[in-house]
Amino acid sequence: MGLLSKKDAKLILDPLSDNNPITIQVLGICSALAITAELEASVVMSVAVLFVMGVGNVVISLIRNIIPSRIKIIVQLIVIATLVIIVDLVLKAYAYELSKTLSVFVGLIITNCIIMGRFEAFALGNGLWRSFLDGIGNAFGYAIILIIVGFFRELLGAGTLWGYPVFGDAIDKTGLYAWGYENNGFMLLSPMALIVVGIIIWIQRSKSTHLIED
Amino acid sequence: MEHIELLFKSIFIDNMVFATFLGMCSYLAVSKKVSTANGLGAAVIFVLTITVPLNWLLDTYVLQDGAMKWLDPSLEEYDLSFLSFILFIATIATMVQLVEIIVEKFSPALYNSLGIFLPLIAVNCAILGGSLFMQSREIPSLELAFTYGIGSGIGWWLAILSIAAIREKIRYSNVPSPLRGLGITFIITGLMAIGFMSFGGMLTGGDEAPEAAAKEIILESEIDDIEEGDQTVLDINKEIE
Amino acid sequence: MAINTDKNSYTILFAIGMVIIVGTLLAAIDSSLKQRIETNKILEKQQNILYAIGMNNNEGNSVSFVSTDQAPSLFDKYIVSQIYIQDDKIVEDDEAYLIEVKKEKTLAKDPTYDRRLPLFIAEKDSVRYYVAPIRGKGLWDAIWAYIAMDENMTILGAYFDHKGETPGLGANINQRFFMDDFIGEKLLDSNGNFGGIKVSKSNLDPRNEDKDDHEVDAIAGSTITGDGVSAMIKSDLRLYMSYFKKLKQE
Repeated sequence: MGLLSKKDAKLILDPLSDNNPITIQVLGICSALAITAELEASVVMSVAVLFVMGVGNVVISLIRNIIPSRIKIIVQLIVIATLVIIVDLVLKAYAYELSKTLSVFVGLIITNCIIMGRFEAFALGNGLWRSFLDGIGNAFGYAIILIIVGFFRELLGAGTLWGYPVFGDAIDKTGLYAWGYENNGFMLLSPMALIVVGIIIWIQRSKSTHLIED
Repeated sequence: MEHIELLFKSIFIDNMVFATFLGMCSYLAVSKKVSTANGLGAAVIFVLTITVPLNWLLDTYVLQDGAMKWLDPSLEEYDLSFLSFILFIATIATMVQLVEIIVEKFSPALYNSLGIFLPLIAVNCAILGGSLFMQSREIPSLELAFTYGIGSGIGWWLAILSIAAIREKIRYSNVPSPLRGLGITFIITGLMAIGFMSFGGMLTGGDEAPEAAAKEIILESEIDDIEEGDQTVLDINKEIE
Repeated sequence: MAINTDKNSYTILFAIGMVIIVGTLLAAIDSSLKQRIETNKILEKQQNILYAIGMNNNEGNSVSFVSTDQAPSLFDKYIVSQIYIQDDKIVEDDEAYLIEVKKEKTLAKDPTYDRRLPLFIAEKDSVRYYVAPIRGKGLWDAIWAYIAMDENMTILGAYFDHKGETPGLGANINQRFFMDDFIGEKLLDSNGNFGGIKVSKSNLDPRNEDKDDHEVDAIAGSTITGDGVSAMIKSDLRLYMSYFKKLKQE
């Protein structure tokens, strides 16, 4: 890591495990639950959040010294909403097909507390470059969990990955289904996302025991 | 009748936490103690009750396609709905901050119990969700918007109160240590959500009048005395970090 | 810092400044892009209608429309007439496809207003298609569809879409496995009354071979979206009944 000092590298690596936005900081849960029924949607959402976090953190960090403290929440919310709306409008005009895939996520991004949470906790007190790294790092941490949950829910729930059947055809009873395997449709329902995240937390904390709460 | 139905629907069937999974972050972070959970729940009811009708007015008279014709017939062609996100958020954040200032000035006691939760609420997606649902479900009148706001708030309050009660009791159980705290809360919430899914079949029976269902509600209130103080502030601050 | 960011006057000035900047920015972007967005929307509508009558570039299980360059010319070629039904009048209008169902629905809340129901009549390989746009509510937001039918209200093609259903669940109503199920389903029951089509979780016909059951298979995990589709078909397509009755009498 010639580009990054040790301290900067920590900003990116920490959110991946020990300071994960979902499992430790409890941020951005709603979207993690809503959209992880399919791997593809999880990845699209992760990329969108990565973009918004990177840019948003930089913008907030730029104006951090002129924001009046009393209305800082409004300012933050408006910055993020404006960013997302502009991107949405531009996509609608120049890449209509892409915008149709993404516009579903617009609301989810604006209300995603991971973005607000990092603005408040980091970008308001740190410089440009470090805020940018923090945004990217946390977005990656968020992405990891989303992709793991999306992977298991789609695999066990629908028997597919990225839309391609893995176990054979469920209706024609080919592949694994010929042996009596059935898809667990329950995995597609949102409550199972909660339970999958719960299990991820379990595994993570039994590995790194210093994270255990009492 | 319409109001009772909508109230029942917004509390149980479309419960903010268990059916649409909105407001999860503060729900998970601030549910360690019943007293704090109760405070936050009350604040959410309060803010939703104010902002949903307010945003309804905004939506009907400003944002919707052709909504501004009451100002001047020539304005009919304007469609400002692309601004709804930003204006709803602005209303919510402004209302939260206004309420905070007013309560602080006139009722310090209430401020002590509610005040610390107010900033948390602006980022609670259940609040914005309430307004957006109001818009997309086309709630027809101001009174119904008001009922919807209260109902969604009560639903959220009920959810956070019950999880806090369970978390207080679960401390005495032998949960595997890595699961303690957040892990088990996720799993319990999942199980509760599965339970709440059974409400999903109610009021969806087509055209038949759904009166009977609304009477069977049994509320389980597990409200302890509300106690406040610096401890709660510390708790919350720690959890936000 | 040199600026005292806690002062009231500063806070107010900042707020006003921000509103002006954000407002102008958004308004400028919106108005400069409006033309393009409108064009895109109209093209999409034409593509959707063409999709419903079977004009598409589908390969395998993908959903793909005819390209945007071809859409207008194909639309002119296949759509033989555009009409709208208002009360019991049938009006021919070459711009009926510009009628927005959403706006008509809002206007129809006023009891004195008679809603205009657009209908597009297409002819392809000497088959007549009657395409009706419908609109309803899913779990999160609006859902809509273009349903192509024959004179007996048997479905010949359908295109569903949504504004913001849950990706991976309700959002799958615009996938082939859901939309193609509708083809061949009958909207009228054997007595000629409106039966609708139900999105059913409990039909024992996952491959949808029984076309007379007024049911298609639901998507697992998206009950509310599915109910929304059933309700939308029931409420909106029923309105076209009178037109099809008249058509038969002629």
